[in-house]
Amino acid sequence: MAVLLIVLLPFIGVLLAVASGRLGRRAAAVAAAGPTLVAFALLMSLAPSVLAGEVLVLSRPWVPALGLTFGLRVDGLGFLFALLILGIGLLVIQYAYFYMSRGDPLWRFFSYLMLFMGAMLGVVLSENVLLMALFWEVTSLSSFLLIGYLSDRSAARRGARMALTITGLGGFCLFAGLVILGQIVGSYELTDILASGELIVGHDWYLPMLILVLIGAFTKSAQFPFHFWLPNAMTAPTPVSAYLHSATMVKAGVFLLARLHPALSGGDAWFYLVGGVGMATMFFAAYVAFFRHDLKALLAYSTISHLGLITALFGFGTAGAAVVGIFHIMNHAAFKASLFMTAGIIDHQTGTRDIRILGNLRRAMPYTMVLALLGSAAMAGIPFLNGFLSKELFLKETLTAPMMAGTPWLLPTVATVGAIFSMAYSVRLVHGVFFEPGQGKMPKEGHDPSAGMLLPVAILVAICVVVGVAPQWTAAPLLAAAAQSVVVGELPAYSLTLWHGFTMELLMSAIAIGGGIFVYTQRARLYDLAHRIWPGLTGGAVFEKTVELVVGAGARLTATLENGSLQRYLVLLLVMALAAGALPFIQYGFSSGPQELTPTNPVAIAVWALLVVAALATVLTHRNRITAIICLSVVGLLISIVFVYLSAPDLALTQLSVEVVTILLLLLALFVLPKTAPRESSRLRKGRDIAVAALGGLGMGAISWAVMTRPQDSISDFFLEHATYPVGGGTNVVNVILVDFRGFDTFGEVAVLVLAAFGIYTMLRYANHTFVEGVPDTADDRYPVVLVSASRPLLALILLMSIFIFLRGHYLPGGGFIGGLVASVALIMQYLASGIDWANERMRLNFRVVAVIGFLIAMVAGSVAFVMDLPFLTMALLGMDVPLVGESDFVMTLLFDLGIGLAVVGSTMTILSELSHMQEVEPYDEAQRAKESDPWKP
Amino acid sequence: MEALIASAIAVLGGCGIYLVLRERTFTVILGLALLAIATNLFLLSMGRVAPGHAPVIEEGIELSAYVDPLPQAVVLTAIVIGFAMMAFVVVLSISAHFVTGTDHIDGGEHTQ
Amino acid sequence: MNHWIALPILLPFVSAILIEIVGRGRIAVRRGMGLASCLGTIAVGAAMVLLTRHGKVYTYALGDWEAPFGVVLVLDGLSALLVALTGVVSLFCLLYAMNRHDTRGKFFHFFIQMQVAGICGAVLTGDLFSLFVFFEIMLLSSYNLLVYTGDKQSLRAGIHYVILNLTGSVLFLVAIGTLYGVTGTLNMADMALRVSELGAEDIALVRAGALLLTVVFLLKSAILPLYLWLPNVYSSAMAPVAALFAILTKVGVYAILRVSTLIFGPEAGVAADAIEPYLLPLATLTLLLGMTGALGSTHLRKMMGYLIVASLGTMLMAMGLFTETGIASGLYYLPHSTVAIAMLFLLADLIGRQRGPEDDHLVVAHMPKQSGVLGLIFFVGAIAVAGLPPFSGFLGKMWILQASLPAPQVVIIWAVILSTSVMALVAFSRAGSLIFWKGEEPPKGEPPRGDSQMGATAFEFLPVVGLLICIVLYTAFAGPVAEFCTVTAQNLLTPSVYIEAVLGAQR
Repeated sequence: MAVLLIVLLPFIGVLLAVASGRLGRRAAAVAAAGPTLVAFALLMSLAPSVLAGEVLVLSRPWVPALGLTFGLRVDGLGFLFALLILGIGLLVIQYAYFYMSRGDPLWRFFSYLMLFMGAMLGVVLSENVLLMALFWEVTSLSSFLLIGYLSDRSAARRGARMALTITGLGGFCLFAGLVILGQIVGSYELTDILASGELIVGHDWYLPMLILVLIGAFTKSAQFPFHFWLPNAMTAPTPVSAYLHSATMVKAGVFLLARLHPALSGGDAWFYLVGGVGMATMFFAAYVAFFRHDLKALLAYSTISHLGLITALFGFGTAGAAVVGIFHIMNHAAFKASLFMTAGIIDHQTGTRDIRILGNLRRAMPYTMVLALLGSAAMAGIPFLNGFLSKELFLKETLTAPMMAGTPWLLPTVATVGAIFSMAYSVRLVHGVFFEPGQGKMPKEGHDPSAGMLLPVAILVAICVVVGVAPQWTAAPLLAAAAQSVVVGELPAYSLTLWHGFTMELLMSAIAIGGGIFVYTQRARLYDLAHRIWPGLTGGAVFEKTVELVVGAGARLTATLENGSLQRYLVLLLVMALAAGALPFIQYGFSSGPQELTPTNPVAIAVWALLVVAALATVLTHRNRITAIICLSVVGLLISIVFVYLSAPDLALTQLSVEVVTILLLLLALFVLPKTAPRESSRLRKGRDIAVAALGGLGMGAISWAVMTRPQDSISDFFLEHATYPVGGGTNVVNVILVDFRGFDTFGEVAVLVLAAFGIYTMLRYANHTFVEGVPDTADDRYPVVLVSASRPLLALILLMSIFIFLRGHYLPGGGFIGGLVASVALIMQYLASGIDWANERMRLNFRVVAVIGFLIAMVAGSVAFVMDLPFLTMALLGMDVPLVGESDFVMTLLFDLGIGLAVVGSTMTILSELSHMQEVEPYDEAQRAKESDPWKP
Repeated sequence: MEALIASAIAVLGGCGIYLVLRERTFTVILGLALLAIATNLFLLSMGRVAPGHAPVIEEGIELSAYVDPLPQAVVLTAIVIGFAMMAFVVVLSISAHFVTGTDHIDGGEHTQ
Repeated sequence: MNHWIALPILLPFVSAILIEIVGRGRIAVRRGMGLASCLGTIAVGAAMVLLTRHGKVYTYALGDWEAPFGVVLVLDGLSALLVALTGVVSLFCLLYAMNRHDTRGKFFHFFIQMQVAGICGAVLTGDLFSLFVFFEIMLLSSYNLLVYTGDKQSLRAGIHYVILNLTGSVLFLVAIGTLYGVTGTLNMADMALRVSELGAEDIALVRAGALLLTVVFLLKSAILPLYLWLPNVYSSAMAPVAALFAILTKVGVYAILRVSTLIFGPEAGVAADAIEPYLLPLATLTLLLGMTGALGSTHLRKMMGYLIVASLGTMLMAMGLFTETGIASGLYYLPHSTVAIAMLFLLADLIGRQRGPEDDHLVVAHMPKQSGVLGLIFFVGAIAVAGLPPFSGFLGKMWILQASLPAPQVVIIWAVILSTSVMALVAFSRAGSLIFWKGEEPPKGEPPRGDSQMGATAFEFLPVVGLLICIVLYTAFAGPVAEFCTVTAQNLLTPSVYIEAVLGAQR
C-alpha cells in the first residue's frame, strides 16, 4: 500500500497546489513539499526490505483485455530512482521557492512540478510496462508545461514544443516496442519480462522491438541524434533544469536501459546500438559543451555527454558495466543538480549566464564559488569526489568491453578524448566565472544569495564529497540493491575504493585531467577555430525546419484536396459508386437472368419515347428554367402513367399529387432565384460530367435489367396472404403494408415531413422579410379574376375528394398521404389565387401545429397497443370492439392514416404558404437586415 | 418491356446525374428530381415488371397473379421522403441565394 | 413485452411533439422536456448496455408482425453502445445550447430530439429500409440544425452537405433496391440468410449491392475519398450542434460494421467478405489525410473537423481487421473519440468567443480572458484526442496496436498510427501554445470588442467539464468496457446469434 501512496501523493500535491492558488507563495510551497515529504518518509520505511534484496509488487487489475494492470513494483533500481526523484525534488522545491520571482504564480509552477514528479515516480515504480509507458508520456507532457512556463518568451514556447514532439515521438515508439515485447513474452508484467531474456533475444521481433524501445530511451535521455531538444529546453526556469534536465527526466531513458537490461542486453544489436550511440554521444556532446558560452547550455551538453557515458556502459552488456552505469547515475544526479542550481544562483544574482560576460565572482560570491568548484570537480572526475570513482570504473570498462576484439584501442581512446573535453569544460566553468575577468558588464553586481537558496546546493555537494571519500559506507548498499535489479544472477565483483593501484585507467584519468587543462589553456585558439569551422546547421534548426515543412505541406495538400467545390465532392462520390457497382461485374461478369421477357406494345413504346425526350429536354433546356420545369413536369406526368401501366395505382396517384406540389414549389422558387443560368462549364468538364452521368445511368439500367430478368423469390406473398380481413384488415395491400406491416417506416416518413416543414419555416422566417431581389412587379395581374372565382368553389370540391380518397385508402388506391396532398393542393390554390392576406384571414390555422398534431395522432394510434401489452404500432387489436364504429383494427389504421394525412396537410401547407408568402414582402433596408441576421448583436 | 424500363431508368438517371453535376443550385435540384424519379422507377423494377393485377385483393384472383406490393410500398415512402427533401433543398437554395447573393453551389467563393 | 427497446426512439419523438404542443413559447418547458428526454435516453441506454453485456440479443416486433415481414427492432451490444453514447452526447450539447443558442430560433429542441430519435432508430432497426428512413430523419434534423443560424457560412456549408447527402440517399435506395431485387427481403437477418443461399449466377449483383451500400456508409462516416465535406460542415455549425454531429458519423461506422459482419461476413456464400478487403486501406489513408488536414488547419474548429476524420480512420482501421480484438478495440475507441471531440468543439467555441474578432483562427490574438482554466481544459482535451496518456484514447490506440499485431499489414498500420499520433501532438502543441501562450494582452483603454471581455459562466463550463469527466470515467472503467466491447465483437463475428434472435423459431 505504501507504494501506491508514494505514487499517488504527488498527484494529491497537484490538487493541493491548485487549491492553494489564492493563498500565496508559502502555501503553494507547503502544498508541494508536504506530500513530497510524506512520500519520502514512506519510501524510507521501505528501505530495510528493499536493501535486503526484496522486491515488493502490488498489482490491481485495470484493463485485463489489454494486459494493462495497475501494477507497481519497488526493487533496488526503482528505490534508487524514487529516492532521487523525491530527494532532489524536495531540494528543488526549496530552491524554487527562493529562486522564482515574487510575481510568479507559484501554485501553477508547483502543480506542474508535482504532476511531473508523480509521473516520474510512476515510470520508475511500474510493474506493468504498459503502465510505465503511460506514465512515460505524462512526463513528456508535464515537462512541456514546465519548459514553456515562461510562456511569453518565444524561445520557451519553441523549446517546449520541440521537447514535447521529440520525447512524445520517443514515447510512442517506446510504447509500440513495449507492446511487441509484451506479445513476445505473453505478459506485460516486468517480473515475467525480466525472466524471459533468452526468449526475447531469440525472437524474430527482437530487432524491431529493440529499435523502438531504444528510440524511446534515446529521445528521453537526449542521445545523438535526438539530443538537440535538451539545450533548447534550457529556456525553462532553472529549478526545472536542475530537476528534469539533470537529475530525473532525462534519466528516464537510462533508467529504461537499466530496467530492461536483464531482458534485452543479450543480443549483439544491443551492444552496437546502445554502446555505439552512447559512446558517440559522450564524445560529441563533451566536445560541443566546451564551446558553449551559456552556463546552462554548457551544462546541458555536459549532461548529454554524461548520459552518453551511462548509455554506453549499459550498452557494453556486461554485468560489471551495468553496475558502474547505475553508480554513475547516482553520482551524476548529485553533482549535475548542484551545478544547475549554482548556475541558477549566478543567473539570479548577476542577471546573466554568459561565461564571457561573467567573471571575477570569487570575491563577491565566495560560498557559491566553493560549491561550484566542488561540483565541477566531481563532474570532471577529480579524486576524492564521487565523479572520480564512477568515471574511473567507466574507463576500466572501456578497456574490457566485449565485441571490440578487432579494435581494442577504439573505445578507450574515444573515452579518454571525451574525458579531456569534460575536464576542459569543467575548468572553464569555474575559471571563466569566478577567476577570469569578464569581457562585459554584468547587469547586476553579484553577491552570495540567501542561505535558503544555497542550502540545497550545499546538501548535494556534501553528498558528492561524502560518497567520493567513503563510498563503501555510503553508496555501497544502495548501489548493491539497485545493481541486483539490473544484473541477472550474482553481482559481479567490483570495488568501490579510491585507490586501485597504478592501473591503466588511472593513467587514462591522468591524461584526461592533464589534457583537459591543456585544452583549456588553448581555448582562445580553439574558439577561433571552432567559430570558423562550426557548422551553421544544428539539430534544433533542422527539426524546426522539418516541422515547418511538414505543416506547410499538410496545409497545401489539404487546401488542394478540400477546395470547397461541391462538384469535386460529388464527382468523387459518383465515381466511387460507379467503381463499387462496376467492380463485381468486372470480376464476375455481367449476366442477364433466364426469365422470359414481357412483350411490349406500341403505347408503352410511345410513352417510353416521350419520357426519354422529356428527360433529355429537361437537360437541354436547363438554362431556361421555366422551360426546364415544364419538361420536368412532363417527365413526372409520364412516370405516373408508367406506374399505372405497371399496376401501381397508389404510386401513380401519389406521384401525380407530389408532382403538382413539386412543380408549384419550383415555380415559387423562381420568384427569387434567377430564371436563367449562365454557361460556365468548360468543354472538358462537360465531357467528364457526361461520361460520369452516362456511366451512372447505364449502371442503374444494367442492374435493373439484370434483376428484372431473374426469377423472384420474395417475402411479398406473405403480405398478399395476410392483408385481407381478419389479419391485415384491408384489401389494398400497399396501403396495409404502409399502415400496418411496415407502419414504422410510415411513422418515420411522417417525422421527415414534419421536420422538413419546420426546417423550411425556420429558414424562411429568418430571411423571409428580406426577399426582395427578383420579385416581379405583380401589381395588376396578381390575382387573376378567373382563378380567384374558380378556385373558391373548387376548394370545397377538392377537399371533399381528398376525404374520399383518404377514407377508401385501406381498400382501394388512396389513403392518408394522397388525401392529404390533394387537400393541400386545394388549399394552396387559395393562397395563389387570392393572395396571402385573404387566405390568412379565412384560415386561422397554424399549419405547423396541424402537422405536429398529425404526428401525435399517429403516435397515439401506434401506442394504443401498449394497453394490450402488444408492440408499438400493432393495429389488429384482436378482441376489441370499439362502440359505434366497429372492429378496433379498422379504427386504429384509420386513426393512424388520419395522423399521416394531417401531418401531410400541415407540413405541405407550412412549406407552400411560407414560400408563397415571399411575394408579399416589402423591400427591407440594409442596416435592419444586418441587425436581424445576427440576433446575438445587442 | 424490361428493356424499355431499364433504358428509361438509364436515361433518367443519366440526365439526373448530369444536372446534379452542374454549378447552380436550381439546376442541381432539377437533377435531383430526375434522379429521384429514376430511383423510384428502379425500385419498382426490383419487384419485376411481369404483368399482373394491382395489389388490391379481389375475390377469385390467385395470389400469384398480383404484382409484388412491397416495392410499391417502399417507393411510396421514398416518394414522400423525396418530396420532403426536395422542398427542403429548394428553400435552402433560396435562403443561400439571398444570404450569399449568388445561386452558385459553392456560394460564389469558388470558380472554375 | 420488451417495450423498452422502442423507448430510445419513442421517448425523443414524444418529447419533440410535446415540446411543440405544450412548450410553445415557454422556453423553460422546452428545455426541461429536452433534458428529461436525454436523461431518459441515457438511462435506457445504460440499461441496454448492462443487459447486452453478456452477448444477448433482444428483439421487438413492431406492429406485432414477426420478422422478416414486419419491421423489427434488434438490440445487441453495438446498438446499445450507440444509444447510450447518443444520450450522453446529446445531454451535454443540450446543456451547452441552453446558454443562448436554443433561444435564437424556434425549434431547436424539436430538432435535437428528432435527431436523437433518428440516430436511435437507425441503430436499433433490423430492417434495411427503415434504416434508410431513420437515416433520413437523422440527416434532415442535422440539415436543420446546421443551417439553424442562417448565416452565410452555414448556408454555404448546408448546400454542400444537403446536396451531397441527397445524392447519397439516392445511392442508398439503389443499393437497397438491388439487394431486395436479388434476395427478395428487406430484413437484415433474413437477408443474411438469403444471401448465403444465393447461387453463383447472382454473385456480381449481390456484391454490387453490398459495395454500393458501403459507399453510402463511407460517405456518412466520412472515409476517404468521401471525407472532404466534413471539416467545413462541422466547423460551420454552431458549437453544440457540431458537438452533437460528432456522433452522426458514428452511425455510418455502425452501419458499415453491421452490414459487413451480419450480411456480408465470411459465411455469406457468394457475397462472402464483399466489403472486407477495402475497409482497411481506405481507413488507413483517411487517418493519414485527416491528420495532415488537422496539422495544416488554419482555425481550431476546422482542426477538430479533421480530427474527426482522423478518428474515424483510426476506428475503421481497427474494425477493418475483422478480428475479434480489432473490432473490440475499434468499438472501445468509438465513444472515446466522440466524447473527446464533442468536448473540444464546445471548448473551441468558448475560446473563440474570448479572443475577439480573431475568433478561433490560429493567429496571434488576444489571450482568452479565462486563459488559465480554458488552457487547462484544452490541454487535457488535446491529450485525450491525440491519444496520449493517461486517457482512454491512449488505451484505445494501445489496444488497436495490439489487435493489429497478427495482421499482415501490421507495419503499415503501426507506422501510420504512430506517425499520426506525433502529428496530432505537433498540431495541438502549435495551436495551444499559440492561443494560450503567445496571446497578447488586450490593449488598455480600448473598448471591449464583442464578447472578448466576457468570461464564460460556470453553466457554460458545466457541459465541457461534464464531458471531460465522462472521459475520465471511461478511462477508469476501461476494464469492464473493454470486456463489453470484446463480447460485442464476438457477437458481431458470429452473425448466427443475431439471425437466430430475429428469425427465431422459423428457421
